[in-house]
Amino acid sequence: MAFLELNVLNNPQDPIIGIDLGTTNSLAAIFRDGRPHILRPHQQDSRIPSVIHFPKSGNPIVGRAAREHAYSHPGTNLFSVKRFMGRGLADVKGDLAEVPFPVSETEHGLLQFDIHGKTYTPQELSALILMRVHDVACQQLDGIMPQRVVITVPAYFDDAQRQATRDAAKLAGLDVVRIINEPTAASLAYGLDQKKDGTVAVYDLGGGTFDVSILSIEEGVFRVLATSGDTHLGGDDLDRTLVEVALEELRPQVGELAEDPAFQQGLRLAAEKCKIELSRAPEADFHFVVPERNLTWHKHVSREEFEALVAPLIERTLDACRRAMADAGLHNDAIDEIVLVGGSTRVPAVQRRVEEFFGKKPHTELNPDEVVAMGAAVQGHILAGGTRDILLMDVTPLSLGLETMGGATAKIILRNSPIPCQQTEGFTTYADNQTGVDFHIVQGERELAADCRSLGKMKLSGIPPMPAGMARVMVRFQLDANGVLIVTAKEESTGTQASIEVQPMHGLTDDQVEEMLQASFDHAREDFDASLLANLKTEIGTMVRATAAHMDDARDRLDPETVADLDEAIAAAQRAADGETDVKVVQRARDELERATLPLAALLMDGVAKQALTGKSLDEV
Amino acid sequence: MAECSKCGERLASVLVCDACDALQDPASPPGPFEAFGLPVAFAVDESVLKKRLLALSRKMHPDFFGLAGTAEHELAERNTAELNSAHKILADAFRRADHLVRALGGPSEQDERQMPQPFLMEVLEWNETLEDAREAAPESPKRAALDSLETTLQTEREEAMDRIAALLDPLPDTGSPTLTELRKELNAVRYLDRTLSTLREIQLEQASST
Repeated sequence: MAFLELNVLNNPQDPIIGIDLGTTNSLAAIFRDGRPHILRPHQQDSRIPSVIHFPKSGNPIVGRAAREHAYSHPGTNLFSVKRFMGRGLADVKGDLAEVPFPVSETEHGLLQFDIHGKTYTPQELSALILMRVHDVACQQLDGIMPQRVVITVPAYFDDAQRQATRDAAKLAGLDVVRIINEPTAASLAYGLDQKKDGTVAVYDLGGGTFDVSILSIEEGVFRVLATSGDTHLGGDDLDRTLVEVALEELRPQVGELAEDPAFQQGLRLAAEKCKIELSRAPEADFHFVVPERNLTWHKHVSREEFEALVAPLIERTLDACRRAMADAGLHNDAIDEIVLVGGSTRVPAVQRRVEEFFGKKPHTELNPDEVVAMGAAVQGHILAGGTRDILLMDVTPLSLGLETMGGATAKIILRNSPIPCQQTEGFTTYADNQTGVDFHIVQGERELAADCRSLGKMKLSGIPPMPAGMARVMVRFQLDANGVLIVTAKEESTGTQASIEVQPMHGLTDDQVEEMLQASFDHAREDFDASLLANLKTEIGTMVRATAAHMDDARDRLDPETVADLDEAIAAAQRAADGETDVKVVQRARDELERATLPLAALLMDGVAKQALTGKSLDEV
Repeated sequence: MAECSKCGERLASVLVCDACDALQDPASPPGPFEAFGLPVAFAVDESVLKKRLLALSRKMHPDFFGLAGTAEHELAERNTAELNSAHKILADAFRRADHLVRALGGPSEQDERQMPQPFLMEVLEWNETLEDAREAAPESPKRAALDSLETTLQTEREEAMDRIAALLDPLPDTGSPTLTELRKELNAVRYLDRTLSTLREIQLEQASST
């Protein structure tokens, strides 16, 4: 009997998908048949806008449909939720200008959005986005629904922000196997694509955050040497410069309306359009209309003007590059390749300044919107046991330490230390017969503990009375491969011990996560169906419009049977979109419509091909 | 010499077996040289060290133990953490020397706090140059003074590290008076490093246009 050789190493049975949870867009990928694949809906843009629409009644809608609502129903949508993750009110003042809902803070520093009488934390909002991304991904996977995921975060995210991301995934019903850094993920995708050893700088300017990471790639080992960044600098801020220009002109005209969040949101979307146009053309029209206010405003913007506006922001990214290079102990000429990540790196001025800074043309072959998700899929493949050929060795972006007497910080684990790592420091008592020591754990580079992020407090008690300075308290910081910190304190002479797994401010407690999960389980099925229904209906609308636009032309060229079939499918889909509430029926109508439009699509493709070939001789073809 | 708990081969690194790749669970936290399986000596070949780091990481990084049981996964976390901490010491000449002085029973940083008067005067002067440069206008000669101070500090550091290397080869005996001498040199290097890091902070601030 012959044995079948099963290629289990290549496609693990229980795959782990990678999810890029972005400020502006999110997407998922999976590693299969030797390379990462983006999980995109058929013939559609792979990106799912990280936008949530809240109808006055009914469930929130996420993604492309929500983004369309942002234009038609301003004031009912949330953008850039990622900017609020793991943050308190004081941190996000500037970002609230275009949030059309009241925002408050709980005692534990947790943000809450009051939306149509229901409160949502940033974690719950991100969970909505994750659920949508996961749905779309599973639709492409023929029935497998991997619950295990690798989620990416900006490298410069602190502990609170990472923990918030982890909790969001839990709330979405996902099992987070690993949180990895976005630039590191991008380097994996790049390295796999290029198969070249060397020193690489990843410059990642996303929708809301900036990261730079310096890596050494050697025989499949990706080792991060240093990372730096700014968690509050991205495409949103580039848009903001144009918004400010517009507001200056508009304020005298519209008065208080200028401060209205919905107005600001609309204005930023217009600014974003203008920015994107300016990456293609030397000049663009900045166009803003509010029909119900009878307001039409536009301004001609040249690329030079825009570049002058954003120059200070670009310089800030280069400051972080300088810091990362200094921490890596390298000169700029040691960089062999620069990888650009994030939609904002399409801005020509960004590419130019990066090239000037490193003295080398950046690598632009990979799609800057997709590399992060692809890299996350590669890491998922490694963690699922799919390969031992690739290994990622990452670092912790920020120093971890303790507050000492007088409010100073004693750094225990320095920034850019490889993880996992551990470090033990000895401390002693400062007063005679002191029986307890309080520890305040902080994260950051500042000298004063009050200027760093507070990660938590713990107390070691039960030290036997002895003169000051005699007790020997050993404090151990353990940082695992996920960047989760565990702090243990032990008095050596008695063996008294205390330890905590750090739970940062602005975060959810385990109990809160449990409670929210329970609440969502109660509503899970209906919520899920409602959001799926809304998305399906939007999709049908788009398909029907697209089909109608081509039908007049194509009607004569299709055989009558096909036309009849198509007309019927359109009518059925329309009926389903108008009043049907059973998800299965709507799904079937949508699938039926897609099948019926296939001959039309083929005809149109054929037409395009013929047009392209017209007037060319055979040799040219 | 320790032996592999699984196959009985002699271990190079006490964290993982080179022969059968079995993770080891050492009874006490290993020293950095034992973690890497390198001879205890001040001189370390950088390229050998890096090769060893990559090879050992490939054997025991927790990412490769996703399918293993909790206990083995935790051991992989712990051993990789030990390896990374050991690498940090071995990859840096100052930390390496500091570790050897401690391991040989020499005085700690606090035990030899007293620095000679002339050296402290020098430190004061450096700090003054730094503070002047921090406040200075872009074209001021006070800023230019930073570059020459950087050269001075680096030369002094190199000379001190050369003396430290000489004192550590061959390794002094446990409790030898040479260890006190080494600690004094190391404390001086610590001052130099602190000054150099402040200097680099100022340089970064001034390179920034925002």
